[in-house]
Amino acid sequence: MDSSLIHQIFIYLINLTGFCLAIWVYLANPMNKANKVFSMSTIFILLWVNFAFLANLPTQADRALLWIRLNFGIVSLFFISIYFFSIYFPQEKKRVPVLDKAILIIGIFFFLASVFTNFIIKDVEFKEWGVEPILGKGNILFLSVVIVLTFLISLNIFKKYFILPSQEKTRVQYFLIGLSLFALFNLIFNVILPIFRETYEYQHFGDYSIIFLLGFTAFAIVRRQLFGIKVVLTALLVVLIAILLLLNTLIFTESTPFQVLNGVIFVVFLFFGYYLIRSVQMEIKRREEMEELSLQLRRANVELDKLSKSKSEFLSIASHQLRTPLTAVKGYISMMLEKIYGKPPEKMKKPLENVYNSNERLIRLVNDLLNLSRLDAGKIEFSPELTSLEDMVSGIVEELRINTEKKGLYMKMVKPSGPLPKIMADRGKLRQVILNIVDNAIKYTKEGGITLEFKKLDEREEIKVSDTGEGMDKEELNSLFQMFSRATAGTQLHTEGAGIGLYVAKQFIEMHGGKIWAESEGKGKGSTFIIQLPIKLDLKAVEEKTRIIKKVSNK
Amino acid sequence: MAKKILIIEDEKILAEMYHDGFTQAGFEVVMAYSAEEAIEAALKEKPDLILLDILLPRENGIGFLGKLRKNPKIASIKVVAFSNYDDPDTKKEALEFGVEDYLIKTNYTPQEIIEKIKDYLK
Repeated sequence: MDSSLIHQIFIYLINLTGFCLAIWVYLANPMNKANKVFSMSTIFILLWVNFAFLANLPTQADRALLWIRLNFGIVSLFFISIYFFSIYFPQEKKRVPVLDKAILIIGIFFFLASVFTNFIIKDVEFKEWGVEPILGKGNILFLSVVIVLTFLISLNIFKKYFILPSQEKTRVQYFLIGLSLFALFNLIFNVILPIFRETYEYQHFGDYSIIFLLGFTAFAIVRRQLFGIKVVLTALLVVLIAILLLLNTLIFTESTPFQVLNGVIFVVFLFFGYYLIRSVQMEIKRREEMEELSLQLRRANVELDKLSKSKSEFLSIASHQLRTPLTAVKGYISMMLEKIYGKPPEKMKKPLENVYNSNERLIRLVNDLLNLSRLDAGKIEFSPELTSLEDMVSGIVEELRINTEKKGLYMKMVKPSGPLPKIMADRGKLRQVILNIVDNAIKYTKEGGITLEFKKLDEREEIKVSDTGEGMDKEELNSLFQMFSRATAGTQLHTEGAGIGLYVAKQFIEMHGGKIWAESEGKGKGSTFIIQLPIKLDLKAVEEKTRIIKKVSNK
Repeated sequence: MAKKILIIEDEKILAEMYHDGFTQAGFEVVMAYSAEEAIEAALKEKPDLILLDILLPRENGIGFLGKLRKNPKIASIKVVAFSNYDDPDTKKEALEFGVEDYLIKTNYTPQEIIEKIKDYLK
C-alpha cells in the first residue's frame, strides 16, 4: 500500500476523531473549565499534527517553512493549554494568578516569535525523508520553556494525585496511560525505528498516537464510572498487540501467503483478546461486588449488635416489670400458707397452693425467657462456687414433694452411702436445671413415680432422673433439647411450658463442661434424663465459653 | 435484742409485704422508699443490715451503695441487694460494692429471704 495514502487516511481519521472528542467533552459539561480547556488543547493538537503533515507534503514544498513555523508555534500554545488543564483536572486546585498570567504571556510570545520571526526557526532543509527545520538562536530558550512547563504540569498533577479520592485517582491514571502511550509510540517511531531500521518513514505515526492521549483524557473527563485501571491496561495490551499484528500484516509482510497467515493470527488474537478483557472485567466486577457485600455485611453486623444489646436491655427491664407482680403473688400466698395473716380455712389451702404453683411456673417461664435472651446475646454470667449437691437436691425434692403427693406419685433417691460430693458449679443455674428436669418428670407422669439416682464416675458426678411416664420415641428424643420443640406427648396433654427450658438447661450444663441427654425405651415406657458434671471444673475450658464473674463475698 | 433491718423498697405492695414478713419474724423494721430517704434513715437508725432494692426512683441502688460506702458512719453496714432487675452488669457493680448477696426477689418467698438474712446476721 502507498505510504502517503496511509498517512492521508490517518490524518483524516485523527482529525475526525479528535474533533469529535473535543465536541463530546465540551458538550458533556460546557460550564466546566476542565472540559473547555481540554477541547481547546485538542484543537491545538490537531493543528499541530496537521501542520507537520502539511510541511512534509511534496506539493506544499514552497510553503514548508510557514507550516514548520506554525507547527513549532502551536506547541507553545498547546503547552499553555495543558498547563491550565493540569490546574482544572480532575479537580480545580488553588491557583497562583501571577504565575498563570506569566505563563500565558510567555506562551503567546513564543507563538508569535516562532511564526513571524526567525528567532526560533531560521529556515528549512529538504531531506530524503522530509523537511528538517534549521533552528534559530531562540530555540534553546524555547526548549527550556517547554521543559519548565512540562515540569509544572507534572507537579500539578502529582500534587493532586495523592490527595484525590480513588475514583478521581483513576481519572488521573487514565490521563497518564494516554500520555505513556503517546511517549511509547514516539519512542518507537521517532527513535527506535530510525536507529535500528534507519528509516524515518514512520515517524509521523508518533504524532498520530496523540489520539491515545486525547481519547483517554476525554474519557477520564466525561465518564462518571470508569473501568478499573487493570481492565484498561489489559485492553491496551490487547489493542497494542493487535495493532502491531495488523501493521505487520499490512506493511511489513510482503508475500501473500504470509499475509494471509498473519491475518488469521490477527483475527484469532482479536477473538481471544476480547475474552481476556471480558474475563478481567468480570473478575474485577465480582471483586468489587464482594467488597460491597462485605461492607454491607459489616454494617449489618454492627446494626445487629446494637439490636441485640437493646433487646437484652429491653428483656431485663421487661422481666423486671413481669416479676414484680409475680413476687407479690408468691410472697403473699406463701405468707398466707405460713399462717402469717392468720390460719386460712382448711378449704382454702388447696386453692392457695394451686395459685402458688401456677405462679411458680410463670416465674420459671420468665426466668427461662430471660436466660434464653442472655444466651442468645452471649451475655450470661457464670459464677461457679463449691456447691453441696446434697443440700441442693434435698431442697429441690422438698420443694416439689407437694406436687408429687398431689398426683399420688412416689419420689425416691438412690445414692451411695454418705453425703453427695461437693462440686464446683454455678448454684443458681444447676439448681434451675435439676428443678426443671424433675418438674418435667412429674408433669409427664400419671402413675408410678420419679427416681433420682446419683453415681460417681471417675471425674464426674452423674445425676439420673427416671420416671414411669409417657416416654418418647426416637424423633422426640432427637429434638428434645432444641428450641421450641416439645415432645408431642406434651402437646397432647396440654401442659404448660414454652419448650425453652431444656434448651436453656443444655446450655447451662455445657457451660459447666458437662453433658445432658435423655433416653427412653419408647412410648409408654418412661424417660430417663442423665446429667454428667465434672467434679472439678476445668476453668480454662469454661472461660473460653463464657465470661466468668467471680463472686465477691465477705464470707 | 431484736435485730434492726432497713428495707429500701419503692414498690408499695412489696414494701408492705416484706414489712409484714420481717415484723412477724421478730425484726425491728425501718422502711425507706428512695435512696435519699434511705441514707437519712441509715444515719439515724444505724440498722444491723440493709435490704436494698436496685431500681429506685431518681437515684438507683448502686448510687445509694456508693454514698453509703463513702460515709464512715454507715460504711460498714451489711447490705443484701434484692431486686427483680437481673442485669449482669448491675449485679457485678453491686457485688463490687461488697453486698452480701444479690437476690432475685421473685425466686424467694419472704420467709426464704428472712432465713438468708438471719444467716448473714449471725
